[in-house]
Amino acid sequence: MALDRRQFLQATLAGGLGITLSGCSLLPQKSGPQPARYSGAVGLPDGSFGVSAFGRSGQILWQSPVATRCHSGCNRPAHGDILFFERRPGWSFYVFDGNTGKRLYQIKADEGEHFVGHGVFSPDGRWLYATASRYEQGQGMVAVYDAERDYRRVNTFDLGGTGPHQITLHPDGHTLVVGLGGILTHPDYDRIKLNLSTMKPALLLLDRHNGQVLARLAPRHHQQSARHVDVSPSGKVYVAYQYQGPLYERPALLARLENGALREYRFDDDTQAALANYIASVIAHPDNDLVAAASPVGGTAIIFRGSTGELVNRASITDCAGIQALAGGDFLISSGQGQLVQLGAAQPARKLASLPVYWDHHLV
Amino acid sequence: MHTMTRILCASALALCSSLALAGTADRQARQQWHQAIGEGYQALAVASGQLQSAADDYCTTANDSNRTTLNKAWQRAFLAWQQVRFVDFGPVEQNNLSWQFQFWPDPKNLIAKKANALMGMEQPVTTEQVAQSGVAVQGFPMLEYLLYDTRHLNSDHALPASGACNLLQAVSQHLRSNSETLAANWRSFESRYLDTDAYRDATIRAGMGALEILEERRLAQPMGLRGNGKRNAYITDAWRSGQSMKAVEATVTGLKQRFLPGLTTLLTAEEHAALAGRIQKQFDEVLENFPVADLPMTTAIQQDDQFRVIQSLYVDVSQLATMVNNEAAVALGVVRGFNSSDGD
Repeated sequence: MALDRRQFLQATLAGGLGITLSGCSLLPQKSGPQPARYSGAVGLPDGSFGVSAFGRSGQILWQSPVATRCHSGCNRPAHGDILFFERRPGWSFYVFDGNTGKRLYQIKADEGEHFVGHGVFSPDGRWLYATASRYEQGQGMVAVYDAERDYRRVNTFDLGGTGPHQITLHPDGHTLVVGLGGILTHPDYDRIKLNLSTMKPALLLLDRHNGQVLARLAPRHHQQSARHVDVSPSGKVYVAYQYQGPLYERPALLARLENGALREYRFDDDTQAALANYIASVIAHPDNDLVAAASPVGGTAIIFRGSTGELVNRASITDCAGIQALAGGDFLISSGQGQLVQLGAAQPARKLASLPVYWDHHLV
Repeated sequence: MHTMTRILCASALALCSSLALAGTADRQARQQWHQAIGEGYQALAVASGQLQSAADDYCTTANDSNRTTLNKAWQRAFLAWQQVRFVDFGPVEQNNLSWQFQFWPDPKNLIAKKANALMGMEQPVTTEQVAQSGVAVQGFPMLEYLLYDTRHLNSDHALPASGACNLLQAVSQHLRSNSETLAANWRSFESRYLDTDAYRDATIRAGMGALEILEERRLAQPMGLRGNGKRNAYITDAWRSGQSMKAVEATVTGLKQRFLPGLTTLLTAEEHAALAGRIQKQFDEVLENFPVADLPMTTAIQQDDQFRVIQSLYVDVSQLATMVNNEAAVALGVVRGFNSSDGD
């Protein structure tokens, strides 16, 4: 459907544009105590960008324009705010009222630093931990902000490495889990990967109170860039890689932290080929043992058992990237073509909806 | 045999033979691509060798004749690179070779800053220093700066000053070495390329990506057709040498010679021969409409009559990009998506 930004916004404001729900009256509920809405960074058909939220009945709740492409975000616990981070190199993050989409803050990165697209809050919603890069030195870090004082920058945790990406909080409430991609980039050099032969990716565990690195776990191969992470409510930590070596090599792309080591999961050759050495997101379902991962490069989403690594479902979804766990045990997958697809362990993928937007990587 | 069983067997056989045909076509296409790209890399290696010789000759005897030869050698090698620039997988990924050949875009003018820093050193620049100085130093744009940048040419540091000559020779040598490495590594990459099915889509995406960059960043943006609507020749490549449009022509020629034949094989095998024919015709159309190839972009966007000519070219390129990136991509099941081309 061709729809320019003005038409889209007009239709949105008039409440006239909803998601085209296919064969169901309501989108499934998210799992767990999360806001009922779905949010994501979007690209619009005219080339502009925004952040969009929609409700379970398919209505657009709000859409806020942003100057540049955003990547992912996080809800502020115990508050109504939702944050989105600009795509790497991100010079700002935005704080929105989760109910209205009104922009409350635009917080710029400190001099010499940029964000990389992700952040997470402390359980009480006061402290924001955002992954960032001090780019002249190539130092990866976590920038800490105080949400109660207008998102004032209050601390910096040096990660002792390069290229942090996704960050999340362990259910213990104290440990930050960070994917350290290991890839050196610099804003003056576009998105060139400057250190592919010497990169040192890792899964990091960090004490959120003092920034102490509690564990640093390297993947088996130095070019398995550890970008995306998730933790189940029971504390199982998962990490997803983007392999930087040649296409004819097909190393593991997913791993789980077990007994202080990374247990890597490799699937059959067809599935590995379908994942195209690239995982854009990984989500452990809070209600069961299932884990979902999506590869937009391979146009493939998979579900596997976290405890065994057994592949239980695989679907071809063009440009899929975002994943959200649903009540009932399934997952919702979003795509850069505006699709929303339900994928579970037992049934084939079911297309639920489509919108004339490009969903960016992560559903929040 | 029961009728149903016969039908199932016949269907299975038809499916098998169809898959086998597709597999054969895939491999044939990759063979065509491997050979055509290899020839392009070899041409680049030869032209880069000639460029290095011309640089050495000029720095030994700095006369007008040698300078003319040097400038022409740079242009030939640069255009040879444009022909294979679309390849973004395989050996050219190693050590960021593609970026080493051509660092672009350069919004902060790092080329000029790095050139002046290196020419200002007390000791002559060595090839080792060039190898460690990053992609802004290591390729065609740095040489273009030394040979064509107006401000630089009017300075005391301009060629044939020793600092500039040292840099010219060191970068030329680095470039020649890289191009020879690339050609050799591509040859030894053959079995991997032919045996790995994923390179089918990777090659198609490479052609699609090149057309997208050509349409959007090398034409639409400098022509002011995007963003704030201002025309700006300096955001395209090769503006210093006035070779922007020549480079566009070389890229289209390269795609036609080194990408299109394999694509045609795939489309024909998938019963889209008519589309393949239309794409071929559109390539011809684009290349026939290149009256402005010798015109610098800076001039083309300032003169309305010339601007109309590049507008016409832009429309042709745009139609070509639509045919390949939409129609052929859909026919072959290849998508270059919002997320899949992102890299995060």
